[in-house]
Amino acid sequence: MYAKKITEFFDANGISFGDIIKVEADGISEEGELMPSTEANAENIIILKLKNGYNAGIDFDKAKITRIGKGIPAHEFPKAASMVKEGMPKISLIYTGGTIGSKLDYKTGGVHMLLKPEELLYEVPELSGVADIHVEPLSSISSEDMSYIEWQKIAERVYEAKKSGFRGAVITIGTDTMHYASAALSFMLAGIEMPVVLTGAQRSSDRGSSDAFMNLYCSAVLAAKSDIGEVGICMHKSSSDSECGFIRGTKVRKMHTSRRDAFRPINNNYIASVSSDGTIKYGESEYVRAGKNSANKLLSGFESKVALVKAYPNSDPGIIDYYVGKGYKGIIIEGTGLGHTPVSTEHEGYSWLPNIKRAVDKGVIVGMTSQCLYGRVNPSVYRNLRLLSSAGVIYCEDMTPETAYVKLGWLLGNYKREEASKMLAENLVGEISGRSLYEDFLV
Amino acid sequence: MENRRDEKYYKQIGFMCGLEIHQRLATDRKLFCGCNANLEEQQHGPTITRRLRAVAGELGEIDRSAKFEELKERNFKYLISDGHACLVDIDEEPPHLMNRDALEIALKLAASMSMKVPAELEPMRKEVVDGSNPSAFQRSTLTGFNGRITVNGNKIEIPSMFLEEESAGIISNSESYAEYDTSRIGIPLIEIDTFPYIKTPEEAKDVALHIGTLLRLTGFVQRGIGSIRQDVNVSISGGSRIEIKGLQELSDMDKFIENEVVRQQKLLEISKLLNSRNAGVDFEKTDLTDVFSSTESKMISASITASGSVIGFKLKHFKGVIGMEVNPGRRLGTEISDYAKMAGVKGIIHSDEDMSKYKISASELDAIRDKLGMDGEDAFIIVTGKKEIASKAIGLAMERAKLAISTIPPETRAVDNRELFTTRFMRPLPGGSRMYPETDTRPILITSSMLKNAESGAISVSKERAKLVEELSSEDLADRMMLSPKLQLYRELAASKNADRQFIANVILQKFREIQRDGINTDAIPNAAVKEIFALFFDGKITKQAVEQLIRLAAKKAGKPISEIVESNGLSRKTGKALESLIESELKGHSLEDKEHTSMFIKSFMSKYRLNVDGAELNDLVSKLSAKHSKK
Repeated sequence: MYAKKITEFFDANGISFGDIIKVEADGISEEGELMPSTEANAENIIILKLKNGYNAGIDFDKAKITRIGKGIPAHEFPKAASMVKEGMPKISLIYTGGTIGSKLDYKTGGVHMLLKPEELLYEVPELSGVADIHVEPLSSISSEDMSYIEWQKIAERVYEAKKSGFRGAVITIGTDTMHYASAALSFMLAGIEMPVVLTGAQRSSDRGSSDAFMNLYCSAVLAAKSDIGEVGICMHKSSSDSECGFIRGTKVRKMHTSRRDAFRPINNNYIASVSSDGTIKYGESEYVRAGKNSANKLLSGFESKVALVKAYPNSDPGIIDYYVGKGYKGIIIEGTGLGHTPVSTEHEGYSWLPNIKRAVDKGVIVGMTSQCLYGRVNPSVYRNLRLLSSAGVIYCEDMTPETAYVKLGWLLGNYKREEASKMLAENLVGEISGRSLYEDFLV
Repeated sequence: MENRRDEKYYKQIGFMCGLEIHQRLATDRKLFCGCNANLEEQQHGPTITRRLRAVAGELGEIDRSAKFEELKERNFKYLISDGHACLVDIDEEPPHLMNRDALEIALKLAASMSMKVPAELEPMRKEVVDGSNPSAFQRSTLTGFNGRITVNGNKIEIPSMFLEEESAGIISNSESYAEYDTSRIGIPLIEIDTFPYIKTPEEAKDVALHIGTLLRLTGFVQRGIGSIRQDVNVSISGGSRIEIKGLQELSDMDKFIENEVVRQQKLLEISKLLNSRNAGVDFEKTDLTDVFSSTESKMISASITASGSVIGFKLKHFKGVIGMEVNPGRRLGTEISDYAKMAGVKGIIHSDEDMSKYKISASELDAIRDKLGMDGEDAFIIVTGKKEIASKAIGLAMERAKLAISTIPPETRAVDNRELFTTRFMRPLPGGSRMYPETDTRPILITSSMLKNAESGAISVSKERAKLVEELSSEDLADRMMLSPKLQLYRELAASKNADRQFIANVILQKFREIQRDGINTDAIPNAAVKEIFALFFDGKITKQAVEQLIRLAAKKAGKPISEIVESNGLSRKTGKALESLIESELKGHSLEDKEHTSMFIKSFMSKYRLNVDGAELNDLVSKLSAKHSKK
């Protein structure tokens, strides 16, 4: 975004982005294409794309600028073969935004969504051999800006797809909060009995090394060919472009800020792997098979007044009162170790126990998870744990804090308080494992 | 044909030539991460596998050469060298901020070539899908434009300079994958381009030499094999731009350029001939496997046994042309073969070759001609291999053969034979559409203090040379010093008090080489030790003669303190009173009564104390003594 005086100058001289302009300043005279600027550029700088393809920042105040003519027109995607292929499994591809479904448009500086099937095929031509893909644009937002309202819309789309005979669904979504969305969809679409695959990209698709292409391909393979009847995330299994892994939607977490293999199963293992040539290999874990569950109903309610709170040394338990005061109906605590908050501290004001008791007395459901992420919380091992448990805290077994948070919001959105309270620590869709397996650590 | 080489001749043939010089900078850290930029390749560590694809650039078009590499459908393996690479290097973490030391060097170079620096630097991504960068692009930033240098009195324009990342070093290359070592990735690299107005191959060499010298004079560039690379662009009237990549030896640059000129001339002659013959390429691939069902050709039968096919096509009126030489040891057939090889076959067989070489019989030859429907003036090309690969190879060969009729394809070429100075096809010449902004790192606003700092560090090759000539009183010594990797060391030594510059130059240019020739590794001596040795000499603590001896010993006993070596080998200088009393004690039995006796004494004294005594001081003292003696 250029500063006002620059924009005004462009308007007055009939110059728009992409035009060829001549810049004369301080011993230079260069022609090039005018590019839009970004928030990273300094205020007085205009961006010129030189003939050699490089951009150079020019000081607007020191330059004499003249318009030469129109530049090269924007790229048009070539027409690709129709994606509707008779006899191929029909899958729905729901776009929500994020790195994977978009391309940077350097003409406007905006994000251009790959909505047309031909654009998608142009980028990932191998998709044409996998399925009859129906593209459904839903939104264009980054995952950090996503709320439960988007989760509900996605769930509705998937549910409709199932009803109208689609074999599976792929949802492209930003990676940051993908594991919250996958947990939400797991609950909202409980019993869907169809592969519902969330996928994204850690490297933007404008670069040749992007993981988007393989992630999308492997996800489409799962949706079109696998017998999985659950919601899950399909992303790179390692830093190599050799294999993607499918992880249950409630047992997955983004564990790295930037690596391709950031998504890891937590207290669980891969349900299946898809190699880059499209071969599916199922793992040892149990999973729900795809089927025709006609009794399946969409339960997409969500209570937004649920909080996720972290307990840590020196933390202020007043945060509980804050949420209670705001009318919150549920709080998931991310405790330390087996599920602790400070309770017997010698320093006044640091014990969470009285605040938690007050919350429970007011009818707020308080759930406990662990910031260790791996392993199961336990209400009995130590006295401090027993104190919390006696105060009414529900220990959420081996659920991740994020899954427990989403589950409580979903429970309170669809069930009465008593039912929700009872169901929080019960396994509904595979979010709680009965056994903690030796091999499920740091997978 | 001597006049072929003069400037007039090259002007007449429309010779165009420009250089791209790539030089690694000697910074502590890489350009966009904290990895050490000065480590040897280790070649061990974990490996990852990636696939890269060509994507549309900023202006939408997919770069043609990028697409070509993708067509090769190869996997790339990257060795994550232990301790030499991090997640940034394997495209698993966004770049950190640009290395300020590297930027400072780049700006100094820009100032040295009178370049303009953009008000704000915009880091770009240059698409590369040959696998040499796991991200499929190289980060490159325009750091200077509109510059010039003067070489042999001629003004050479330098339109652009870039600060970019070094690529990964290739370990191995095969049909299915290429393997790279990531330890080299991201080392800061400077690219300096000239306009294509270089007038002769010799001038190209001189310009490259000048720029190379300028780079070394900064004192901030890496030395050694691969640390500087010259790419040359060459074309002639009617020809096409050809980029010859990776010339490491400057001495041969002109010969490679001359050969490229000849290659284009020959290809133009071929095109003319083919046109006059109304030649054409039959774009029909014919399966000829049946022809060789009982062949004696080991190569073909082995391929067929491994479930391969033989595929061929007809080239109308090409007879005799495929075998025409375009460069020493290279024919049009070799050019076509280079393309076919990209599909993964070993080569082609064409009808201008001697078939007995492959043990292809006359009846098989007849059958090929028959199946392809060939007339007397027609030619054929066949390849063998797995059907899919062979078919792709034939497709590429057809494309190249067809181009021979109309044009010279613009190409990037690599050195093929260092003795014959010939090159081979690597990939089509990249277009201009492979650039787009690097949005993961911030633009850099250039401040006036940055420019001022760069100006004060600017270097002029001619001024530096003049200074050296003055210091060393020898043009030859000065020129050798300019090219020496020890120039920086010389500078530091020459700056010390009481420095004898000619002596320093002589030791580090001549003596070091002599010592090396005696099988002693002078690279083992750290610069600090050399400086210590010279400091001892300048302070009068050791003699001139002892300097060389001390260097020999320091090389053999690398790591031992110099003072200890001096002591244990008795290398301290005897001077003043100590020398006087030593002379007195040695004088017993000698006479100084006449010149002859005096010189005999000095000779015998020096043979014993050569390393400890300064000859001039000895002469002085002896003549004083002899005066004393004669008075007596």
